[in-house]
Amino acid sequence: MTYQIEIEGVDKHYGAYHALRDVDVRIPTGQFVALVGPSGCGKSTLLRTIAGLETISEGRIRIAGRDVSSVPPRERDIAMVFQSYALYPHMTVAGNLMYSLRLKGMSRAQARARAEEIAAITGLSDLMHRYPRELSGGQRQRVAMGRAIVRSPAAFLFDEPLSNLDAALRVHMRSEIRKLHNRIGATSVYVTHDQIEAMTMADHVVVMRAGRIEQQGAPLELYDRPVNRFVAGFIGSPAMNFVEGLVTEDGRHVRLALPGEPALAFTGRRPPGEVVVVGLRPEHLTPVGGDQAGGNRLELPVALVERTGSASYVVSDTEPSILIAATERLAGLRDGMFAVAIDPACVHLFHSDTGLALDRMG
Amino acid sequence: MLRDDRFARAGLLAIALVLVGLYLFPLYWMYVTALKTGTEISAWPPRFWPETPDVAVVEVWERLRMGTFLWNSLIIALGTTAVVVLLGTGCGYALARVRGLWMDVALFLILMMQVLPSSLMITPIFVAFSQFGLLEYPRLSVILAQVAKLLPFYVVLVRATFLQVPRELEEAALVDGNSRLGAFLKINVPLARNGILVAAVLIMLQALGEYVYSRSLIQERAFQPATVGLQSFMGPNTSDWQGVMTYAAIYVTPILLFFVLLQRQIVSGLTSGALK
Ligand SMILES: Nc1ncnc2c1ncn2[C@@H]1O[C@H](COP(=O)(O)OP(=O)(O)OP(=O)(O)O)[C@@H](O)[C@H]1O
Ligand SMILES: [Mg+2]
Repeated sequence: MTYQIEIEGVDKHYGAYHALRDVDVRIPTGQFVALVGPSGCGKSTLLRTIAGLETISEGRIRIAGRDVSSVPPRERDIAMVFQSYALYPHMTVAGNLMYSLRLKGMSRAQARARAEEIAAITGLSDLMHRYPRELSGGQRQRVAMGRAIVRSPAAFLFDEPLSNLDAALRVHMRSEIRKLHNRIGATSVYVTHDQIEAMTMADHVVVMRAGRIEQQGAPLELYDRPVNRFVAGFIGSPAMNFVEGLVTEDGRHVRLALPGEPALAFTGRRPPGEVVVVGLRPEHLTPVGGDQAGGNRLELPVALVERTGSASYVVSDTEPSILIAATERLAGLRDGMFAVAIDPACVHLFHSDTGLALDRMG
Repeated sequence: MLRDDRFARAGLLAIALVLVGLYLFPLYWMYVTALKTGTEISAWPPRFWPETPDVAVVEVWERLRMGTFLWNSLIIALGTTAVVVLLGTGCGYALARVRGLWMDVALFLILMMQVLPSSLMITPIFVAFSQFGLLEYPRLSVILAQVAKLLPFYVVLVRATFLQVPRELEEAALVDGNSRLGAFLKINVPLARNGILVAAVLIMLQALGEYVYSRSLIQERAFQPATVGLQSFMGPNTSDWQGVMTYAAIYVTPILLFFVLLQRQIVSGLTSGALK
């Protein structure tokens, strides 16, 4: 496999503040990679170091095999879409699209033709003579996208390009961007704090926290096998439930710190008596009839039921409260007890101090 | 309600007109006096409009050798403005972009320089310039002295306009393939154009009206600017008020026209649409 962007052991300091800590990411050619994490975790900083807008304190960055660690942005052959779009306000849409081509030394006529071509793809053909201030938010967003793809760069960098759009347009542009990527096939790094965006758009997701990479891999791999409690809680919506638990004598069950201390089976085994944090995804807790026996069951008092039509959310009246996401309507459920079952393979166990996912042998 | 509102508005307008009238009265008096003959000027009570307007522009221009004076004024003002804009624009940009303790110190020092009055600075400047032999080129030495005086003012004004140009725009230009200098010239300067223009005009007007440096550094009459030239016609025994006022009118009118025309250029909202 050939790698288009290779980031090796990158550290970044802003004065005394350590913004990136030993970051390693390797992006195969043509992949769409999402960087996710909470606000302030260093996603934009990492993207800007790839672009060359920030210098790195330590480590190496290679683009298309060439070490660019100390190369200025203009020689890196990358295109960037800024969160604020950063359209040149004193140039028309055509001017914005042609700017980088003209800098590369392309003739006016050629640049014009190429800009028209891109405008047709992005649906901007009728707006070529407008100035950015005369465009709607969605149109500006498309100009920003167009300005990036017009160059056929070695890689695309996106810094939360959809965060200024309303919800409906965001969902629409999400699939547009992904379709565009499927067509052009250029390596892309996409920053977002919205894990749904990351999960739906990317081939490879990198989860960051406080300047560190917590886990990276295919979206469903992160969902199925989070390496720690942070990733488990960050990926997936609604978020995973966490409850303290105690591994039972046989090492195959865990007793939850909930009323009645129910025990749940999990796959594999852990040392008996170990204190752990149990992670249960709301959508893995499936409602079962109250009289049905057996299975990996949990009975919970109901505090609240929310129905959206396509899904129903049950909040348990416990401390901590457990959220259940069911696809049924659960008509008639109001209060009283509610029984759910879970597949032992879906019971996640984390170390109670470090939060690391626990290996389960045999 | 509506009626009250209208009265209040009319009242405010009247007050505004009175204030403007007060403010512009000297200007009006200058023009009127320039049109009066000697006897009419000393007449009592003063007339607010001359009986027989007497335009003495050509005569005064010739007699007081205004051509030379205005030419010198223009050279000094344009020279000062050019040097200030060339040196100050990059400086204001740097002060707008780089943050840190040292930049704050630099900004503070720049503002300090602005505080020193020219009448105080002229002695050391005179001594230094004469030692360097700069007084051989009197107009150049006035230009240099004025640049030193006006540069801080310009830098502070231009820095404020560069602060309003979003940083992402130049970063986008860098990623798009421009150099630092290219991004500065192609993105920052065009977007800060109005601010730069206004600051440059203010500098030029200041330079046109400057008196202290020219008076002290230029001995030869042929190199003196209009401000110094006008002064030499005025004194306790001045009787030629029409001449002096005509002189002043000739000097001031182009500046006024220039300023009025420029108003159109001072439009805001040039950067709108860049972000979001
Ligand atoms: N120029 C700077 N000087 C000092 N600290 C900075 C600078 N730029 C960013 N930081 C710090 O680095 C950290 C990471 O910033 P960054 O912009 O990369 O966050 P982010 O993950 O993109 O967050 P968001 O989702 O809010 O955009 C933040 O804590 C921020 O305060
Ligand atoms: Mg960010």
